[in-house]
Amino acid sequence: MLTRMITLRSIRSRPLRTLLSMFGIVLGVAGILSIGITNQLALDSVTRLFKDTSGNSSLVVTSATNDNRGFRDRALRAIDGMPGIVAAVPSVHVQTVLSQDAPAGTLDLNMFGAGAGGGLMLYGIDPVLDLQARPYVLAEGRFLNDDIDAYEIVLTSAYASEKEIVVGNKISILTPNGPMRLRVVGFMKKEGPGQLNNGAFGVIPIRTAQKLFNRSGMIDQVDILASEDRKSSAALEALKADLQTTLGEDYSVVFPASQGKRMTQMLNSYQIGLNFLSGMALFVGAFLIYNAFSMTVVERTREFGMLRTVGMTRRQVMLQVLVEALVLGILGSGLGVGLGIFMAGGLSQMMSGLVGSPLGDLAIPTETLVTSISVGVIVTLLAALMPALQAGRVSPLEALRVRGNRREGLLIRWGWVLGAPLLVISAIILIRNPFSYDVQFRLGSIVVMSLFFGGTLMIPASVSIWERITRPFIRLLYGNSGRLGSSNVRRARQRTTLTVAALMVGVAMILVVRGMTESFKTDLDDWMNAFIGGDMFVSSSINMRQDVWRSLELVEGVAAASPIRFVEIKWLRPDGTDESLIFMGVDPVAYSRVTRFVFADKNTDEAAAMRRLDEGGAVFLSSVLSEKYGLKKGDSVQIKTRTGVQSFEIAAIVVDFYNQGMVIDGSWNDMRRYFKINDISALMLKVEPGQDVDGVKQRILDQYGKREHLTVESNVTLKARVTGLMRSAFSMFDVLAYIAVIVASMGVVNTLMMNVMERTQEIGMLRGVGMTRWQVVQMVLAEAGLLGIIGGVIGLVFGIILSRIFLIAMMAMSGYNITYQMPPQAVITALVVAIVVSQIAALLPARRAARIRILEAIHYE
Amino acid sequence: MDDQNTVLEASALRKQYDLGAVRVDALAGVDFTVRKGEFVAIMGPSGSGKSTLLHLLGGLDKPSAGEVTLAGKRLSLLNDQQSTLARRHNVGFVFQFFNLLPTLTAEENITLPIIIDGKDPGKFAERLNRLLDLVGLKDRRRHRPDQLSGGEQQRVAIARALITEPAIVLADEPTGNLDSKTGSIIMDLLRRSCDELEQAIVEVTHDPRAAAYADRVVFLRDGSVVNTVHMPKDMPLPQRVRCVMDAMETLEM
Repeated sequence: MLTRMITLRSIRSRPLRTLLSMFGIVLGVAGILSIGITNQLALDSVTRLFKDTSGNSSLVVTSATNDNRGFRDRALRAIDGMPGIVAAVPSVHVQTVLSQDAPAGTLDLNMFGAGAGGGLMLYGIDPVLDLQARPYVLAEGRFLNDDIDAYEIVLTSAYASEKEIVVGNKISILTPNGPMRLRVVGFMKKEGPGQLNNGAFGVIPIRTAQKLFNRSGMIDQVDILASEDRKSSAALEALKADLQTTLGEDYSVVFPASQGKRMTQMLNSYQIGLNFLSGMALFVGAFLIYNAFSMTVVERTREFGMLRTVGMTRRQVMLQVLVEALVLGILGSGLGVGLGIFMAGGLSQMMSGLVGSPLGDLAIPTETLVTSISVGVIVTLLAALMPALQAGRVSPLEALRVRGNRREGLLIRWGWVLGAPLLVISAIILIRNPFSYDVQFRLGSIVVMSLFFGGTLMIPASVSIWERITRPFIRLLYGNSGRLGSSNVRRARQRTTLTVAALMVGVAMILVVRGMTESFKTDLDDWMNAFIGGDMFVSSSINMRQDVWRSLELVEGVAAASPIRFVEIKWLRPDGTDESLIFMGVDPVAYSRVTRFVFADKNTDEAAAMRRLDEGGAVFLSSVLSEKYGLKKGDSVQIKTRTGVQSFEIAAIVVDFYNQGMVIDGSWNDMRRYFKINDISALMLKVEPGQDVDGVKQRILDQYGKREHLTVESNVTLKARVTGLMRSAFSMFDVLAYIAVIVASMGVVNTLMMNVMERTQEIGMLRGVGMTRWQVVQMVLAEAGLLGIIGGVIGLVFGIILSRIFLIAMMAMSGYNITYQMPPQAVITALVVAIVVSQIAALLPARRAARIRILEAIHYE
Repeated sequence: MDDQNTVLEASALRKQYDLGAVRVDALAGVDFTVRKGEFVAIMGPSGSGKSTLLHLLGGLDKPSAGEVTLAGKRLSLLNDQQSTLARRHNVGFVFQFFNLLPTLTAEENITLPIIIDGKDPGKFAERLNRLLDLVGLKDRRRHRPDQLSGGEQQRVAIARALITEPAIVLADEPTGNLDSKTGSIIMDLLRRSCDELEQAIVEVTHDPRAAAYADRVVFLRDGSVVNTVHMPKDMPLPQRVRCVMDAMETLEM
């Protein structure tokens, strides 16, 4: 009854305030929820993809070298005889393209590297066996029959309709032996294995696949179906170990879902960043709530005093405030959920761009939903706790008192005594120990929070100093009435402090994001200029034969061509366990002619390093691996090759971001020797001086484009696309930082509105003695401007320190070695944003102040 | 304006308020003149329209009919901006609750109208010193309002009203929030500024003792002037108070 009469009416009577204070919670909850949903979605879609596509199989056997060359099918016989295995299902995996599509459009880029776009993935299968392992769902026509030599194909209906293929058509696909025709006998739905390669997928009989792609006797994967009694996890582990022993170390036996692990791990660091930022947004949101509630309490001091005189206990008063907070928390969280679901839509689209496959339908994990709502409500309640206690302390006498100076809180007067050491200690902790070992950055987050808290406690003591320093500047900008306004920040110090702190966090976030983006970008640019060296990048929907290299070198206008081959391999980490890596094979001589490596150590003798690579038995190690495993130049690495584990000397450490830095560069000859590979993933071309890049590109396309199915991109456009991809990856961070600023600006609106209302009588007096409306506006704007300046400058300092610390932490975590960069534009942007935001936020309160009617104001009490 | 010495003139001033369906006449045609160096008190019971009259005289509100002429300007012809400037340059206000800016020192509060006007307060140092002398706050010039007593705050407010040498000072219950002893100090101060600076002052009050300092007391009832009492300058204070109280009694106030 009391609640309905007092609390709910109080909420209703201040709709604007209610909305403003809820805004922070809405955004915070929306952030947490949408990120939670998207993370879960990304994780699910990746694991589901691997689970769906491997169907009923319990274990998967692949080649340990992982070099796309597969293994001899005699391994099947060894597996087949083993106890506990119902069936061993072999398959051959090939990548091709419809003849009509070649040359394919553009190079396909995603977070995990580059690949040819528009390709068709084919599994060569034994139809009878495979149906036991993978749940194909037939949509039309029939499935492959048991003739494993037939020139037949089953495509996904999605791919078929896109390419306008109907059942019964004959389609032509590219093979190393030229275009080959296959009859389309049926379509499968884009479900289960049909989702592979994002639906650009088909199956053909296994022998046909081996014949067409020169893979006789080779298979890429064996799916193991375990018998029912072996399905428990312990039994499967035992079976896995058995298989591994039987097959030897040239084979790798894994659980199907673990294939998706690498992919999800890579999203990890990105997600940590998002989580951390949405946490910060909520932190700012909590500020806003606290701010709003302490204002409400001040505003209603007389009301509470009156309630106390008529017999309300302290507890009851306190509860009223808390109930109000609870209502707001629930409302805000509810709205936040709505917004969060909406935001998740956009976020998941972005994420799918990064992963390179769609994420599937939006599903809201109950756990995330509960977490985000409860975090929203709890944060609201916590933020309202102090004001509630304050309300409880209002004495009945205060209802009768006309006016009086409110006592300044202990924290306001002596906060700096606590704040200064807190600030220094947390800064030292962060610099000394950036918590690199803690991937979740949990302790780190706490220390960062205490850094902000320390800074916040310092604000009240410094407000007067700020006001004095900026006085001439404010006077210049806003005139004399501006100076009156700016001196007001010294009055409600608590309010000032909170508003400044919120702005500070927002500005610091902008800088952290900008600083990290810029630092990454600078190093990435360096590497990209080398990696996408030369003038042109040539790729093909299927790997190119080696003679294409020679042919292109002969095209008029081409100065040099350098081939690259990416091979998926496994190496032995120093602790003896194996790990997947990319081996990038290059011809050192040709490579030097087109581009160069970026050496981590600037004093590296480049020529000597390249010579050493050319001599064989040597590799360049990426700085990421070097940092991660403490490997230096001159050490050696163990790599699993076709001829067993081989030792390679590390000839140099290079900056290489390909495949997230999980890459080793080796020579072409070593690659041929140890991995038996001699085709080409891509070619980098250098154009002769004075030659027009587009002209040369056209000549290449005219002469070889169609025949060799080449995609030629000038490096300028390619770089632009890589940069674009990178920008979209980082744009979410920007969005969150700006959300924090927006939330902070709500704080400014709230504070100023409150100040204006509190000073109604004073403003009335000023108007009475001749202050014009415009001068009143200037006065409020100046006050906001000063808040903006303080928040901006402190946020700037924090932002620079924090971005530095984060970079150190991230470098230690990921092994990237990045030079710190803080673009001056970002510094200026942050300051301008703080001031402009404060001015915009001040417009509404300023208008309200200007509209104060003098007569009412004078009698306002 | 006929008389060279007339600083403020109100003629046939009416003010009506619409309170829902009812129309209330707050002022029902008031003529009112103040000359330079004259101290006028307006008295009347609650709701008699005295505050309304003061507000109309100061240009804080617009009359429903009639005209206020302040320092030669017809206020009804001015827009909000112009009447603000007219107030700034020609009117000094003294409020019941002092209304000082808590962030400013005493002297800064006094020079506030100058600061608002965008002028350099330094150039008004001489006048500031004279006023500080007049109000007796020379040694407290750097104190903030919360370090001053109520009477001292009101003295600051009076100095603030006088700093621009306005055509008229309007005081709304200047002693309403003070004890009687402090109140008489304030009234004495107003009287002296009238005598020494030739300042025209209009004061609205409930208090017959506060009204007794005036040269003329105008009695309002239900929006009309019902009586005016003139008091010669040499009349001693107790007699003046008697005089005002007598008039009140006759009017059954």
